[in-house]
Amino acid sequence: MRKKPSSVNKILHGMHQIFSHEMRKILKEKSLLFGFIVLPVIMLLMTVGISMLQPKETETVEAYRMYFYGLEIDSYNIGTMDDKDIWIEPVKDDPEEFMKSKRFNRCDVLVDYSDVHNVKIYYYESDDVSSYLKMSAESFVRQSYEEIYKDMFPDITFRPLSTEDIKQKDDTNRMIAMLLPYMLILPLTANIANFAGDTIAGDKARGTFYQVMLSPVPPISLIMGKILSVSLISLISSGVYIGCDVLGSRICESLGIKDAFGFAGVHVSTPQILLILLYAVLLCYLFANLGVLISLFCKDVNQAQTAQIPVTLLCTLASMMSMFRLGISPKSHYLIPVYNICLIFQDLLNARAKMGNMLMVALSLFVLAVSVLVVTLLSYKSEKVRI
Amino acid sequence: MITIEHLKKTFKKNKVEAVKDVSLEIHDGQIFALLGPNGAGKTTTMRMLSTLLEPTAGTIHYDGKLLEQSDVDIRRRIAFLTNEIRLDGQFTPDELADYYGHLYEMTKEQIEKNRDKLFDYFGISEFRDRRYETFSTGMKQKTSLAICLLHDPDTIIFDEPTNGLDILTQHLIEEYLQRLKAEGKCIILSTHILDLVGRLADRVGIIVDGRSVFCGTVEELPAAQGVNTLEEAFIKLYKENHEEKAIVGK
Repeated sequence: MRKKPSSVNKILHGMHQIFSHEMRKILKEKSLLFGFIVLPVIMLLMTVGISMLQPKETETVEAYRMYFYGLEIDSYNIGTMDDKDIWIEPVKDDPEEFMKSKRFNRCDVLVDYSDVHNVKIYYYESDDVSSYLKMSAESFVRQSYEEIYKDMFPDITFRPLSTEDIKQKDDTNRMIAMLLPYMLILPLTANIANFAGDTIAGDKARGTFYQVMLSPVPPISLIMGKILSVSLISLISSGVYIGCDVLGSRICESLGIKDAFGFAGVHVSTPQILLILLYAVLLCYLFANLGVLISLFCKDVNQAQTAQIPVTLLCTLASMMSMFRLGISPKSHYLIPVYNICLIFQDLLNARAKMGNMLMVALSLFVLAVSVLVVTLLSYKSEKVRI
Repeated sequence: MITIEHLKKTFKKNKVEAVKDVSLEIHDGQIFALLGPNGAGKTTTMRMLSTLLEPTAGTIHYDGKLLEQSDVDIRRRIAFLTNEIRLDGQFTPDELADYYGHLYEMTKEQIEKNRDKLFDYFGISEFRDRRYETFSTGMKQKTSLAICLLHDPDTIIFDEPTNGLDILTQHLIEEYLQRLKAEGKCIILSTHILDLVGRLADRVGIIVDGRSVFCGTVEELPAAQGVNTLEEAFIKLYKENHEEKAIVGK
């Protein structure tokens, strides 16, 4: 036998052995081809097919709107642009509240007059209409300084206006931001239910679990090895699905069809991609922990997959709920497991993720995953698992 | 040497007392047969011996060292083979040997040496590149046995080792058990086949209704019961102890 290794080395060695064996086992499964090739190809065809069915002419905007806060004005039409009316409307809620409201979705420019010494204009830099309306708003503000405030406040001088890009008007990113949590969570939970169900409950049914339990591998190595293999394979599999969507969108683009999911024109930077990947890994790890815990108490794959259904449904529901989010969510929503990661995915794609929220979500996911791991390790000793 | 003292196991879930009071002494270099009717507590006792289950009360000592479920190192010294234990069907015997050898922290050379010796003995060598799931029942059992013994354990626990096997395979396994015994290994067999006990075992332990009612040599068993055969002795012991329980139950 080898020189007696330290406890940490022993744990890492066992984890590595279990992980590589599980990966080899999964890759040898014929059913994997279905999940990795057949389903993604169906997804690809679906992306192209749905895009082809989309009406070519879409009319989503009936008018452009500039909102004013802190100014006593009535709603009125100031003209037209591209055959659409331009409306000026008053806002009673302060800008922070307004941005959470449904009306904000129709807003192209928001002018905040709460401090006449520093009027703020919020606009979408990436949007041509919004940028153009911002210029009109700037003229309006300059004029108001010249004609109104000069008399009211003799000491007032013209100051450069502070403008803020609210960076949300990118319709392609908004579409993806709305869909991504759902598109990622659905295959992820389905894959984890499949792989995690097989990893322990399947082993128990086949009678291969006991041989490993009887080996000198520490329980943490056994459990972690299985969790990591389930996480990795599910992440890759989900990546293949999304990759097929992107490919489908590119095909649509080359065929001159507007893609239904809006992947083709998506603008994401490398840090955005890396952060999305990081959260996807965390999410995967959490789901895999849950999957393995459920699998530990089941006697066969069917039982494990059935027991996973409520988890899959809840996670899908959370991702669907996030699709209907309007405006900015309060901080407390970033503490709701799974739903919080959907919010972060959306925030990241809309480039409005806040560091505090990101850290809170990452930490809460990690703590939750570790708690589930502790429960799994304690459960591993129970008789229900061992007989 | 294994010493079992007043072993007890009550399952938490259904409060069933599977093992009530088992005390046995199992020596190295001998084959110990564990006998008992179905549901007597043999499998539960063997699961506790192999660290799969934790006793509710009582102790198990391996060469004077107290056995604890969490002690993973003692598992290096034990091999446990039951009919419930199978190997991953997608893998070849070579791949399985490699995997389980590494789980036991064996070196590559040790794995190769032990694997070749066992595969040659059990006639697996020519099928070493075929998937385990394609094997016949006998070949599967032989492969499981070979993998189970790969780490060269001191104590080998077999639950019904020859159950469902053809005569040739049975003979091969019996011969190998004798060889292990000659090497000084401690072998524990659970079986219903009294002929096998007569042929192979040195000592025998009988469990009835979760209690050990006899522990001694194979020769002592019929003599102690005043009968001529193992079968008669077993039935006599069973009836005496089982009836006692029935009377208590009333």
